[in-house]
Amino acid sequence: MGLVFTKLFSSLFGNKEARILVLGLDNAGKTTILYRLQMGEVVSTIPTIGFNVETVQYNNIKFQVWDLGGFIPGWLWANQYQSPLLLPIFLLMVYCRGFLSRPYWRCYFPNTQAIIYVVDSSDTDRLVIAKEEFHAILEEEELKGAVVLIFANKQDLPGALDDAAVTESLELHKIKNRQWSIFKTSAIKGEGLFEGLDWLSNTLKSGGG
Amino acid sequence: MFSLFYGLWKYLFSKMELHVLILGIDKAGKTTLLERMKSVYSNIESLPHDRIVPTVGLNIGRIEVANRKLVFWDLGGQPGLRSIWEKYYEEAHAVVFVVDAACPSKFEDAKSALEKVLRHEDLQGAPLLILANKQDLPQAVSADELARCLDLKKLEERVHMFEAVSAYDGIGIRESAEWLVEVMEKSKRTEMLRARAGAMGQGPA
Repeated sequence: MGLVFTKLFSSLFGNKEARILVLGLDNAGKTTILYRLQMGEVVSTIPTIGFNVETVQYNNIKFQVWDLGGFIPGWLWANQYQSPLLLPIFLLMVYCRGFLSRPYWRCYFPNTQAIIYVVDSSDTDRLVIAKEEFHAILEEEELKGAVVLIFANKQDLPGALDDAAVTESLELHKIKNRQWSIFKTSAIKGEGLFEGLDWLSNTLKSGGG
Repeated sequence: MFSLFYGLWKYLFSKMELHVLILGIDKAGKTTLLERMKSVYSNIESLPHDRIVPTVGLNIGRIEVANRKLVFWDLGGQPGLRSIWEKYYEEAHAVVFVVDAACPSKFEDAKSALEKVLRHEDLQGAPLLILANKQDLPQAVSADELARCLDLKKLEERVHMFEAVSAYDGIGIRESAEWLVEVMEKSKRTEMLRARAGAMGQGPA
């Protein structure tokens, strides 16, 4: 499986340095996907700014993974209404998250050919925030040319939305000037990932967005 | 003041992109058509046919025909995905509806999908090109026969054409693209979309 992937991508990029960003909210399954693809060791770096980037170098392609949604941990999302103290903290964090984290992202943008956006399809509460973060990142000038592959992940969980429903929730139809595609995946079972990457490699080969 | 003149200059002289929607039910050959268009009109090598997978999203092709910039939007045609078609209607200058002419058992499905497209008010006045695709196959029906099979009522008031093509080996592709440019140039809808783009201060895209 790993070998197929090597061939796919070495024929695709030649010797040019390329970058693929793997993005999504925390707990969407991004790191699991990289492990599934057996692309060597995932190196985790935690800079002092509290912005965590994982990098996987695969031949000449750099896969870079980070969480969108700022520094708001999942438990806070789940419990924001549990106490009167948590709610204002939560709202303040929601308000600040954009300009706290976005400036640091930008140094990761140049030479980005593609964005892989991973969504936890069973986490319906946070799909709204996943949508907002997604469209904010697409606004970035340096990412205008990148094609977008969406993984509707965690299809193995009960209550997971299918591809059409995730398309609707993420408002993918607003994307009109670049190519996109969505795939149902289960990173745990390893399903759907290679189909998605196949699409990505075809699309980049035929000229991209 | 300067920006006003600049806007006017852009409005008059820059080439406006014309958006063409490629619709049709699944397995009609929409993506193959797009790939063929790209290879005929630009020097991009088209994908080998066995590498084309069902579309679950949006493919885009930018080509230039008769000095006009065309942007093709190719949307997936599986039943669950057809709901997003209408989100692209408002900005489309014309529609290409692809039918697998070699598979009469799917004509009924194609017909009802197309009728729904025609009824939508966001597509009023958009020229329509209906392609009887897969002419490379011996059992494919002709364009006239397809027109008879589909038996569409609401076509009279709309600029439309039936054309026999094969996206696989390139029959009828140039004729189709040239017809599209010709009718879009003349269509009131193009004027309307252009005026709206101008009014919104964006200028022609």
